[in-house]
Amino acid sequence: MDASQAADGPLQVHELPSAAPAAVRLAVVDSDSGFVRVLAKRVSAVGWRTQLIATPPPPEELQALRVHAVVIDPAILAADGWSYLEKLCSQSGAPAVIVCTGPTSVAQRVRGLRLGADDWVTKPCHPEEVLARIEAAVRRRRAGELSAQPVEPIVAGELEIRPDMFEAFVGGRAIGLTRREFELLHLLAGASGRVVPRERVYERVWGYAMAHGDRSVDVFVRKLRKKLEDSSPGWVYLHTHFGVGYRFDPQPQEDKDEEEAAAEATSEAKG
Amino acid sequence: MGIVGTRLRPRAGNQFFNLFEEAGANLLRAGELLDRLLQTWPENADLRREILICEQDGDRITHDLIQLLNRKVSPPVERHDVYELASALDDVVDYTEEAADFLGLYHVEAPMEQAQQLSGVLAECCRHLAQALSGLSQLSDIHHHLVEVNRLENDGDRILRDGLASLFANGVDPMFVIRWKDIFERIEQAIDACETAANILESIVVKNA
Repeated sequence: MDASQAADGPLQVHELPSAAPAAVRLAVVDSDSGFVRVLAKRVSAVGWRTQLIATPPPPEELQALRVHAVVIDPAILAADGWSYLEKLCSQSGAPAVIVCTGPTSVAQRVRGLRLGADDWVTKPCHPEEVLARIEAAVRRRRAGELSAQPVEPIVAGELEIRPDMFEAFVGGRAIGLTRREFELLHLLAGASGRVVPRERVYERVWGYAMAHGDRSVDVFVRKLRKKLEDSSPGWVYLHTHFGVGYRFDPQPQEDKDEEEAAAEATSEAKG
Repeated sequence: MGIVGTRLRPRAGNQFFNLFEEAGANLLRAGELLDRLLQTWPENADLRREILICEQDGDRITHDLIQLLNRKVSPPVERHDVYELASALDDVVDYTEEAADFLGLYHVEAPMEQAQQLSGVLAECCRHLAQALSGLSQLSDIHHHLVEVNRLENDGDRILRDGLASLFANGVDPMFVIRWKDIFERIEQAIDACETAANILESIVVKNA
């Protein structure tokens, strides 16, 4: 079968190509019951998980569903469609957004894509095409995420942080980090000496908003600090900024002691 | 209240009083262990085992009280009050043990501040309840402990509301919500059981004044 035959022949695509992203979680925000039903049937046939939402929740709630992609028809948002789309696309860690709506002008499609939509499909459309566009958008996202993560080792103090191995080493010896401890260390070490607020750490490492009063970040910093102290006792890597968060800044222990003594002397002089 | 110095029938009641005092010491131990467990979680997870032993001791004390009640013709207080009080004291330890058990069962990674505050309130309630129970035979110096339990229960309600509100903020992991809602509720039920026990003690005091 040549390319022209393939293009003209009946569409019977039931196997996902090997490049298709596996186990995509999808949210469909649309009140067009016919389209939603057909798309959901096709999506479930390829083993993806779908959440059908007829009334759009606030964008942050949509993000909390932790889906890979959202298919949305802004028509159900009426006049708020553009601002909703902008909010949805501008959130950090937002899912891939595929707008699937009725006939629109070129200017509208350009505006939607520039607001951050990953793709735009005009109804009526074949569910197979929508599926392929979702796959492509998710694939691009995943490729982007992978390339955005530095795989180069970070060397700081006696520590070598190896993202490719999800481990940190001191003198060539692994310090035995869990995945979460590694992600925490990698995040803080990648922040170039800046203080990372607890809420931000939680959002990046755990993938959800931090509940007020949750001590998870503190507990994991404590565990990480213990492992760092055991493996590299002459260095202090993690610094606490009370009420704010944590900062990664390797300092030899004696410098840290002098710093603390100076801070103590200053506070005594003030007192 | 004007009841200081009144005595309940000691000869008939010594065994009852001893068991209630033992129940008070047991629930105080359970409450303090849960507080320590939550303040240091997950470092001292083994404390759950000690809390489980308290729960088993609590069951044994309740059983002994009921057995005693079945044998004795006249307990020092109304039979109904003995049943109700034994049951409430048993509930305190049962809910405390459930909360501790959930920390491990639900693979909780770290404590929540509100749960730590709530366990502090529970431990304080248990302290007052234990002291009230140890003074039961004399009916002395009980009333202010019971007032404190009621005041602490109100504090607990406020902390619980704050904890629940934080769980239902936007974007919080639903699994996190499920875990902590259950744990908050168990600690709150333990505090409520303390209040129930305090109310029964109050009514015993009034009846015997």
